[in-house]
Amino acid sequence: MNGHETNASFDCFGSSCSIVVSGDTDTRSAADAVSFAQRSLLDWHERFSRFISESELSRLNRDPRREVPVSPLMAGFAQAVIEAGAMTGGLVDGALAKEIRIAGYTDDIHQPLALRRALQLAPARQPAAAAPGARWREIEVDLMRNTVTRPPGLELDSGGLAKGLFADVLGEALADHAAFAINCAGDLSLGGRARTRRQIKVESPFDGRTLHTFELARTGVATSGIGRRSWLDRNGRPAHHLLDPATGRPAYTGIVQVTALAPSALLAEIHAKAAILHGPRLASARLPHGGVIVFDDGTHQVIAPPPVITLGELRCVA
Amino acid sequence: MPENRTPPAPHSDPQQLDPTALARSRREGMLLRTRKIRRSVAGLALGLFTAAFLAVYVQLASGHDPALTANAERRNVSTSLVASTSSKAAAEKKLAAEKAAVEKTTAEEAAGTEATSTETGEASTESSGTSAVTTSQS
Repeated sequence: MNGHETNASFDCFGSSCSIVVSGDTDTRSAADAVSFAQRSLLDWHERFSRFISESELSRLNRDPRREVPVSPLMAGFAQAVIEAGAMTGGLVDGALAKEIRIAGYTDDIHQPLALRRALQLAPARQPAAAAPGARWREIEVDLMRNTVTRPPGLELDSGGLAKGLFADVLGEALADHAAFAINCAGDLSLGGRARTRRQIKVESPFDGRTLHTFELARTGVATSGIGRRSWLDRNGRPAHHLLDPATGRPAYTGIVQVTALAPSALLAEIHAKAAILHGPRLASARLPHGGVIVFDDGTHQVIAPPPVITLGELRCVA
Repeated sequence: MPENRTPPAPHSDPQQLDPTALARSRREGMLLRTRKIRRSVAGLALGLFTAAFLAVYVQLASGHDPALTANAERRNVSTSLVASTSSKAAAEKKLAAEKAAVEKTTAEEAAGTEATSTETGEASTESSGTSAVTTSQS
């Protein structure tokens, strides 16, 4: 059954998601696995959206208590926010929900501002920097009791970190199938017992053509950029959802998109965001597992993943 | 007739009586032994190194580099991002429970139905071969 795939594509997280599974397990068919994954993502969208007032995230963000009981997955997400901040020195800051709302991101973006137009209007390019206050440091998570402790008023933004986390959680749930691929609105988790190598195509943010194709069996992948969720703010300035923590304003660093490979989708998401925010000079250093960087001028740079010698190649050498 | 007594016959191996020759002989023996020991140690070390090298090389060459592809490692990395070190096991249990709960709900809801994706208007499909996936900005 390795070559027989069951798949589904659907709208979720203000974007599109897809699930591909091949091979049945003792307890679950591939079709059931696809159904399970799809319903999980739809459920998590309802719970983690900032734009749904009764979502768990919205309730957490407006809860007046300092310590708030949450679901295990929400606690995991809050912990991911802390880890992302710590790993990137505060550059990837998941506690900027207020700032992104002020920037104008208050609902799903159905018609984004054209990328080339946004780049023409954008301010001078400069690398982003961590916020001096770094409010993410004020978050504490108790994973035993499932509580999030933070000063009331500090709000979390689910953003790409949650999607990476969801892709990983589903990846672990589907790990016993022969092969699977979860595309959680751009964050991918690939794996499966059969170690089937699968092509991963990286799209250009300018025209949608394929810039590069990786072929891997097990990996996390995340693509982050400023083209998909962009708009003109009230002052006619271009804006997007990747903020410079130091200024609280959208970051224009000279990079429009980064695709990162990593052992997990969450880690890939953190690498991708950090690479964009660092700017062209340091971006490649933020992609230790490989990736693709797309610059403002439309050129791109491919960072190859570390080589893995296969047994077949060893036989050839012998 | 002591005068007629012949002198004692000389030793059959005169070198044994020569202290210098005896020392040289012993020295050469020690040198030979030293060389033999050195060769044995070098051979053993080389053998051990080759065995260890081949073990690691085959492991990596077969695509089972634990740092890159092993599932256990992958789970560890994933977990380290969502759980503190002190409560990693507990976090895993909690997340597993969460997944199980969602799965149970899903199974209950999906039982006996074909509503794989009725909410989204696009049903799951089946195909042959390994499909490619595309990553773009979310």
